[in-house]
Amino acid sequence: MTDTSLPAAANATSAAKIRSGAPANPLALIRRALVYLLLSIAAFVSVFPFFWMIVGATNKSADIIRGKNGFGTELFNNAATFFTQVDALRVFWNSAFIAVVGTALTLVISSLAGYGFEMFRSRVRERLFALLLLLLSIPFAALMVPLFVMFSQAKLVNTYTAVILPTVASIFIIFYFRQATKAFPSELRDAAKIDGLKEWQIFFFVYMPVMRSTYAAATIIIFMANWNNYLWPLIVLQTAENKTITLIVSALTSAYTPDYGMTLFATVLATLPTLIIFFLLQRRFVEGMLGAVK
Amino acid sequence: MSSLKLSAVRKSYGHVEVIKGVDLEIKSKEFVVFVGPSGCGKSTLLRMIAGLEHITSGDLEIGGTRMNDVDPSKRGIAMVFQSYALYPHMTVRENMGFALRFAGIAKDQIARQVGEAARILALEPLLDRLPKELSGGQRQRVAIGRAIVRNPEVFLFDEPLSNLDAELRVHMRIEIARLHKELQTTVVYVTHDQVEAMTLADTIVVLRDGVIEQVGSPLDLYDDPANQFVAGFIGSPKMNFLAATIVEKSAGSVTVELRNHAGARLNLPVAGGSVGEEVALGVRAEHFGEPGSGNADIRLNVDVAEHLGSTSYVYANAGGESLIIEREESRHEIGREHITVSISPERAYLFDSKGQRIR
Amino acid sequence: MAQARLDRREQLTGWAFIAPALILLGLFMIYPIIWSLWMSFQVGKGMNLSFGGLANIERLTKDPVFLRALGNTFTFFIIQVPIMIVLALLFAVALNDSTLRFRGLFRTAIFLPCVTSLIAYSTIFKSMFATDGIINQGLMALHIIGSPIAWFSDPFWAKVVIILAITWRWTGYNMIFYLAALQNVDRSIYEAARIDGVPAWARFTHITIPMLKPVILFTTVISTIGTLQLFDEVYNFTAGTGGPSDSTLTLSLYIYNLTFKFMPSFGYSATVSWVIVVLVGILSFLQFLVARDRRRP
Repeated sequence: MTDTSLPAAANATSAAKIRSGAPANPLALIRRALVYLLLSIAAFVSVFPFFWMIVGATNKSADIIRGKNGFGTELFNNAATFFTQVDALRVFWNSAFIAVVGTALTLVISSLAGYGFEMFRSRVRERLFALLLLLLSIPFAALMVPLFVMFSQAKLVNTYTAVILPTVASIFIIFYFRQATKAFPSELRDAAKIDGLKEWQIFFFVYMPVMRSTYAAATIIIFMANWNNYLWPLIVLQTAENKTITLIVSALTSAYTPDYGMTLFATVLATLPTLIIFFLLQRRFVEGMLGAVK
Repeated sequence: MSSLKLSAVRKSYGHVEVIKGVDLEIKSKEFVVFVGPSGCGKSTLLRMIAGLEHITSGDLEIGGTRMNDVDPSKRGIAMVFQSYALYPHMTVRENMGFALRFAGIAKDQIARQVGEAARILALEPLLDRLPKELSGGQRQRVAIGRAIVRNPEVFLFDEPLSNLDAELRVHMRIEIARLHKELQTTVVYVTHDQVEAMTLADTIVVLRDGVIEQVGSPLDLYDDPANQFVAGFIGSPKMNFLAATIVEKSAGSVTVELRNHAGARLNLPVAGGSVGEEVALGVRAEHFGEPGSGNADIRLNVDVAEHLGSTSYVYANAGGESLIIEREESRHEIGREHITVSISPERAYLFDSKGQRIR
Repeated sequence: MAQARLDRREQLTGWAFIAPALILLGLFMIYPIIWSLWMSFQVGKGMNLSFGGLANIERLTKDPVFLRALGNTFTFFIIQVPIMIVLALLFAVALNDSTLRFRGLFRTAIFLPCVTSLIAYSTIFKSMFATDGIINQGLMALHIIGSPIAWFSDPFWAKVVIILAITWRWTGYNMIFYLAALQNVDRSIYEAARIDGVPAWARFTHITIPMLKPVILFTTVISTIGTLQLFDEVYNFTAGTGGPSDSTLTLSLYIYNLTFKFMPSFGYSATVSWVIVVLVGILSFLQFLVARDRRRP
């Protein structure tokens, strides 16, 4: 963790320098106050719905749509309703399996490609890469119908495979890894070759550990995308026992008169894993993003 | 401890040829330094020996075996990189043992070899640190340690000291010289710094534009440069070149006139050359004499004088030509605007219009 | 030039590294997109298809639902993307000030919405924007409105909620890109500008914006693609209808309905999806043009 605290320390010293040097004129003070006000409002607006979600999980549906803003006593009732209506264990297993396996496969396959494009440049591959960037602009809506027909013909509808496979080679993540690879010192690869490593060994034993910040950021992005993926699972997962938590929450919300207490309880459960992953990897995430934008 | 042989080695990228036919033999245990300006191909040549760059044509032999297509790890070489190239996620110990791990060597054997290398380089207290917790000099020592662990026949160094500050550079230079003495391996060392080349090398190879300009011991190159490029590259400060014209020629000698110094003339024992040819007279900064001591005196305007204590460098010019003159006893000269120095023929070199040395 | 062994091996290695991704992309992206292009010339229901030439394109021009969906999608795009980009830039610049207190806290808070799923926040927003809900109560308490707004049954306000929701979800995401890019800007450039007496607003317009231009372009293109594909939020706010009376129907939702709700009309829905492809293409190209023009002084 020392590597992450280094820039912070540098910032702190430069901050101290500026703070002592800045004149305290009234205009600057007003501007400063406005900045704090703006950020406070933004932070409040950003966080309030989370607070609302947790409060809602403890209230009755009727109270929620009447706008009751305070903790209630219905948490256990909401939980009980949810667990009787939904096979929660099964649903979470579906979500977890799809998200974890999907993330792992995407990380490996897309980073292999990003590394390959950057490390082994050739004219043909450069052209191909440009073509991929063009494909980035193709919306999923244009693909979903043919994809659905393909998976029906392959008799794979309603399987995890059908949910995971089309997301594994992500152009966005390939691009991200290629950008990040530019910061990977090529002398490390040379040194590893002299140390007797094969190309694939260099990738797994040198590149991957060295680039772990990049992988952490990518993990957050991919995991969230998989966990929250909606449209494609909605199309290919058809029986209740195969649906993900995201699909279940959506179904609960779309009911004619939704039970908001129970639904918000489900929403808390659905949001928890991504929140945990985010807070665990947050530091590396910002580091990794830095690498990608360079 | 292998010898190295390069025969007609060439390298091109597409249509651009960067190494244009290099023939070189390096004896076992020899310390060879490739030196030249940036872009001369010295690093490419080293990387070709290492197996990191493919050899377009020609042969590379290490220890008598053709190595052109052999994997870098199987050439019996180890390499120290400019940026050290330490694996940032591994401790010093793991860095040093990494190659052995992949060579399938037993753990206790690895530990022994790492321990031995650490002892030689006094790295024992640092073995469990990560590279980022080390100073530049320590990282450099670890990089060297990593190379030693592999017991290479040939050490390759790619500008290993250029990321260090001046003081540390001198220190590491001495350490590398000591190591070579202790380990008795063949070393190929690339640098752009001719001081490193002079101090470390048994043999210096001067490269320019992918071609070897001269091979020889440091003092050979200093005393006896083959051409104007080598003469200008080896030695600090740089050799001065004075524009001259051959005005007279007799059997075994010529007389040259210094074009920028009011017709000062100098007679030199040279067999070649023809009257009217434009040549360059080379004089090292330390070879100018007191006025009247040589055959030709020239008077110069002083631009700047740097007084280093034991010696001084005077930057002076005449007729648009800048010269550097080293004076050992010059305290009385501080503040002077003009200086007169003398050139002796026995201390002067002469280069023809193509830069080839004719004396 | 003789192709040599190491070079050839490196060539092969290069292909080996990208091969898995290429195969998957070919199968699940390139093949479907070509298939869909071919489909857009087919007419008929279900699997009874026949070549119809440009009949689908003709149908597009006469289809009021499609035109409504196109209009809605454009409205979301034109209003939402600029608001979000400006907000994200504003927050990023404010948070890049190293003298600011609670930077980490603010940054995390503003980024937090990205962690929720589109569905989760649709649910939350739906409950907050209920007619007697917390938002109406809040606005009435602040005397901004006199009587509750029927957010989801009014065509105008339904669009507003969707725009608010998307902005809430994605502003922090874009902000992180800008923050990352800003941290790469050498601080001494700003210090030099301050010493040269360049005022704060000019530092923003003449240093920050030009430095961030590539990232701004990137996020704009990504946001454009995202907005033109808008589906999850609308589907959940409106239980899949795009109501009230198609006022929030988007192109993606329409394609979904054409394929999976009504008797599947693969050819026609493929044509609608190609409308999105073409739109994204045109808009991205325009954005590149704008970014390039501004580069000239």
